Amino acid sequence: MSTQPSTVFLLMVGGQIESAEFPEFDDIYCKYCFHHGPDWLITSGLEEGLTQITKKSRDDRQQFVWNFPLDITFKSTNPYGWPQLVIHAYGFNAFGSDVVRGYGVCHVPITPGRHTMRLPMFVPESSSLLQKFTSWLLISRHPEYVDPKVIAQGEGREVTRVRSQGFVTVSFNVVMKDMKKLGYDVIPSEVSTTNIPENVGMQTQTLES
Amino acid sequence: MAEVHVIGQLVGATGFPEHSLFCKWGIHAGGAWKVLAGIREGQTQVDNPQNHDAAYWSHPIDIHFSTKGLQGWPKLHLQVWHQDSFGRNELYGYGFCHIPTSPGNHTIECPTWRPSGSFREQVSQYFLGGGPQLKNPDLIYSGADRCRLTTVAMGKVHIKLGIILRNFDKFGIEC
Repeated sequence: MSTQPSTVFLLMVGGQIESAEFPEFDDIYCKYCFHHGPDWLITSGLEEGLTQITKKSRDDRQQFVWNFPLDITFKSTNPYGWPQLVIHAYGFNAFGSDVVRGYGVCHVPITPGRHTMRLPMFVPESSSLLQKFTSWLLISRHPEYVDPKVIAQGEGREVTRVRSQGFVTVSFNVVMKDMKKLGYDVIPSEVSTTNIPENVGMQTQTLES
Repeated sequence: MAEVHVIGQLVGATGFPEHSLFCKWGIHAGGAWKVLAGIREGQTQVDNPQNHDAAYWSHPIDIHFSTKGLQGWPKLHLQVWHQDSFGRNELYGYGFCHIPTSPGNHTIECPTWRPSGSFREQVSQYFLGGGPQLKNPDLIYSGADRCRLTTVAMGKVHIKLGIILRNFDKFGIEC
């Protein structure tokens, strides 16, 4: 181990794209990618990937299950630009070509531990009646984002109209290294440095005797 | 200097009389606070949900503040608007919430209100839409000049924020 003071912290993210609810569709697969700021680097793991195609469960849960693993480690000097998971789900139309079923985004949790998130999934809508008509004419050619990472950005979203039509459940296990060493607090101080008074154990002893 | 990172999302809104909602948001902080990186105001997409009770925006927030003092801890202020089928925008609610002071993950439900106006204005709003708005939007997050304003309750905005603090313990500040 190097002895010089480190200026980077590490963020290890494990997890899975567990399941989804899309009440109106069947046969869905997901693409995922991580979007992060300029100070961040991926040290191991895959930045993007593709899940299997899954059908709804044939019971009343009507659930899509992927159980798809996520494993990635980031390195950064600054929490600004904290990584976000961008998920886009696709299905098929009557002719077997791909149609987008939803985009969703969430930040990787900023506290260590296990977290489960339910991401709302939405699709962009045609902005005019004429475009709606032509997309109907060309048989469910639905509008898509050219770059799905726009949904991880705060700018340029005010012009988009969307329709939310499902959810994807993702779980994360987060571990961090050297955050505290760089002065960052991600959990309240009374939790991170629990202060147990010294006489607690002694009192129980006197009670027993 | 102590630093604060605010990382999170405007998740969505529930309890509004109609869907097709969007939100204009901003973060207001006192004079001792400086934004080092990130966008401090914005506007979300318009969501028209297919079969849910809530509108979802999933709008990311990521701001890096540095501060010389605790006074004027940042506040998030919101305006929820409704877009009707003709593309007209109508005010549906104002709200604000403090950025949490303790580090960690926080789920916030921000209640909103809108000015109700006189009886005449309420009748015209019922038939024509529109309605009174605040002339000075600073009133959303200040309590100084709210007397004689009549308002009515609207829905809730759901926000998820993660807070990371840096060097606060170095100055003896317990958060």
